[in-house]
Amino acid sequence: MPSQPTEPSALDLIFSPRSVAVLGVGATPGTVPNDIFCNILGSGFKGVLYPVAPGKHSINAVRAYRYVTDIDDTVDLAVIVFPANVCEKALQQCGEKGVRAAIIISAGFREVGPEGAAREDRVKDLCRRYGIALVGPNCLGVINTAPDVMLNASFARGMPSAGRIGFLSQSGALCTAVLDYAAEKHIGFSKFVSFGNKAGVTEIDLMDYLHRDPQTDVILLYLEELRDGRGLIEAARRITRGPGAKPILAIKSGRTPQGAHAAASHTGSLAGEDAVCDAVFRQAGIIRVASIEELFNAAILYAYQPMPADNRLAIVTNAGGPGVMATDAAVSAGLRIPRFEPETTLKLKAALPAAANTKNPVDVIGDARAERYVAALDAVLADPNVDEVLVILTPQSMTDIPEIAQSICQVQKTAAKPISCSFMGAADVRPGITILQRAHIPHYVLPEWACQAMAHVQAIRQWRAQPAEKIDPAPVDRAAAEAVLRGAPAGYLREDQALAVLEAYGFPVPAAKLCKTADEAVAWGDRIGYPVVLRVVSPQIVHKFDVKGVALNLAGADAVRTAHRQMMDHLATAAPEAAIVGVIVRRMIPPGHEVILGAKRDPAFGPTVMFGLGGIFVEIFKDVTFALAPLSRQAAARAVREIAAYPLLEGARGTAKADVAGIEDCLVRLGQLVTDFDSIAELDINPLLVGSAEQGCAVADVRIRIAGNG
Amino acid sequence: MDKMEVEKRVIKVVCHVLGADPAEVKAESDFVFDLGAESAQSVGLVTAFEAEFGIEMDHEEALKVQTVGGAADYIATQLT
Repeated sequence: MPSQPTEPSALDLIFSPRSVAVLGVGATPGTVPNDIFCNILGSGFKGVLYPVAPGKHSINAVRAYRYVTDIDDTVDLAVIVFPANVCEKALQQCGEKGVRAAIIISAGFREVGPEGAAREDRVKDLCRRYGIALVGPNCLGVINTAPDVMLNASFARGMPSAGRIGFLSQSGALCTAVLDYAAEKHIGFSKFVSFGNKAGVTEIDLMDYLHRDPQTDVILLYLEELRDGRGLIEAARRITRGPGAKPILAIKSGRTPQGAHAAASHTGSLAGEDAVCDAVFRQAGIIRVASIEELFNAAILYAYQPMPADNRLAIVTNAGGPGVMATDAAVSAGLRIPRFEPETTLKLKAALPAAANTKNPVDVIGDARAERYVAALDAVLADPNVDEVLVILTPQSMTDIPEIAQSICQVQKTAAKPISCSFMGAADVRPGITILQRAHIPHYVLPEWACQAMAHVQAIRQWRAQPAEKIDPAPVDRAAAEAVLRGAPAGYLREDQALAVLEAYGFPVPAAKLCKTADEAVAWGDRIGYPVVLRVVSPQIVHKFDVKGVALNLAGADAVRTAHRQMMDHLATAAPEAAIVGVIVRRMIPPGHEVILGAKRDPAFGPTVMFGLGGIFVEIFKDVTFALAPLSRQAAARAVREIAAYPLLEGARGTAKADVAGIEDCLVRLGQLVTDFDSIAELDINPLLVGSAEQGCAVADVRIRIAGNG
Repeated sequence: MDKMEVEKRVIKVVCHVLGADPAEVKAESDFVFDLGAESAQSVGLVTAFEAEFGIEMDHEEALKVQTVGGAADYIATQLT
């Protein structure tokens, strides 16, 4: 029995519609309402196209309809180009006709202010009511180069060539520049989408669609605003690892408005949205790049060449200087320059003149013609120590540029290892570059760019090799923490309360007690043993050191009484308005490495944790990293190793190795704490004093800020 | 000039500028959605109304009017 055809998904209808109606088509060439229609008509669309153009008999010799409801046929996709103020009417009619997918190209929505935002909300309501999947509004449109579809529902200047790259962009204007850039470099696309205000379909839906799309190998994303950072990260983790994994390369520009506010805590001020975004993207397998050039440099290498087995690069060049520059760039990018097997060296010596360098980088010298490049390429590609090859060419008087390019194309046809090229220069090398680009051999103006692209592909390879991570909650006393946090007013918790929360979550908090009098402080000191520390507790005092509210290293009862009296006397003048609850008395923690552990709620990503070098170094070196909460053990281990000062913890210059496992445990517990309690807006443990593995870690100071209701 | 007369003359102008069939132009007709006015034609409509009624209109305000009936109302207030 033949199987029933499955119902196409709404996104299938957007990308592969059998029929498209363009609503609001105009007759004036050079305007969006006319160009979109002409682009679909001229792109070789394999379905049926209907212009909805009230008052017009036909558009470009195609019979026009007054309303979408006048079309007898089913309409899979409506492309709406009416001005914003009538888009609702158009969408309403689409809903009545049973259209399930729409693109609103028009601007005049959320991006223009409150009136536009209200209009966009009404559009969303209509889409919900009629079950319409909407791309846009305020976008360039959608392109699908699949030969059985050939849809250019956009106002770009033409149809790009087919390729293996899926491109998603929030900016429509950038799309047109990207298409022009790509055309010049012979880069093709599978799908090309400008999603604009993402009132319906989001970048996450589109990423998932491209993950399933057999024509797409790599996903490129240009994003200005993150509304669902968590969703994006979860999608990226699904897409970038496991069966059918595809890499995501992204440019994320702009910052959320919330990021502009000045935050009170260290974590708040250090955790600018961009730094958090950087770390979080990395932890989700998203390769973040800074420019369109870098984006495509990496994309073409991944999409058009095989994945290298490892990171050992052979360089073949006809000029020594660029070979050395490329070697430096490769090593800086984390690539290795391996030694060749003796057999390879013999092959190179046999094929190259005596003056040539047969070591890596191989210098075929300036008078090399195509056959010498081919011999060197064949030899290094066959070497088991080589995973990928970079070919460098400088245009010298005897250099047969097009022939060399064609020879590289021939070699590449049977090569199982990736080949990249850098034909350095501009005018003279142009014919060779065009030959390479047409054959989909990645070409880079500078060898440094090639190395940067290779480093990105290595990051993709390494990410895939890592096992998926599982979050194992640590044993904690959640009820005890909740007893402190429930009903806590907005603002900073008292230190004794903050310590109680940390203790409930299993942090290494030294035995401490809130003492209301000097006698109580001495009694507690006698019990826990000296030396001890006194720390004033007052809801009005956040920065204790500033008002001499801390006394360290008190060796006995007399020292405690003296310090207590002096502290109270000083506070009476330094902070006369402060209500003194008492003093925290705890054992003096032995010296150790000072690190900071912090947590905050990122507007896009939710709870995040921070780790870095602590104490007074926090603000100076800003040597910190971030991670999404909750953290797996592996994520905690990675975070600790990401800071520049990590070698200090490993025991640099003969010092004992610090309790790194203890830090990792604290990070896991911190992630769990801020995930469990939404009311914690910010948290700083600064410093966590880290001794040797035997001594362990100890919380020396903590601040927890409770969020207000607003 | 009474409201009926204004509307009649508005419809006449609309049919002339947009090439619309008078039978299809109603008071509730939307210039863009029902009659297919393109942006240049919308500006042309405002100019033609000014000439027809011998008035000067605030173009920004006038272009916000979406329907034939709305235009008749707007022009009627300008005439009084």
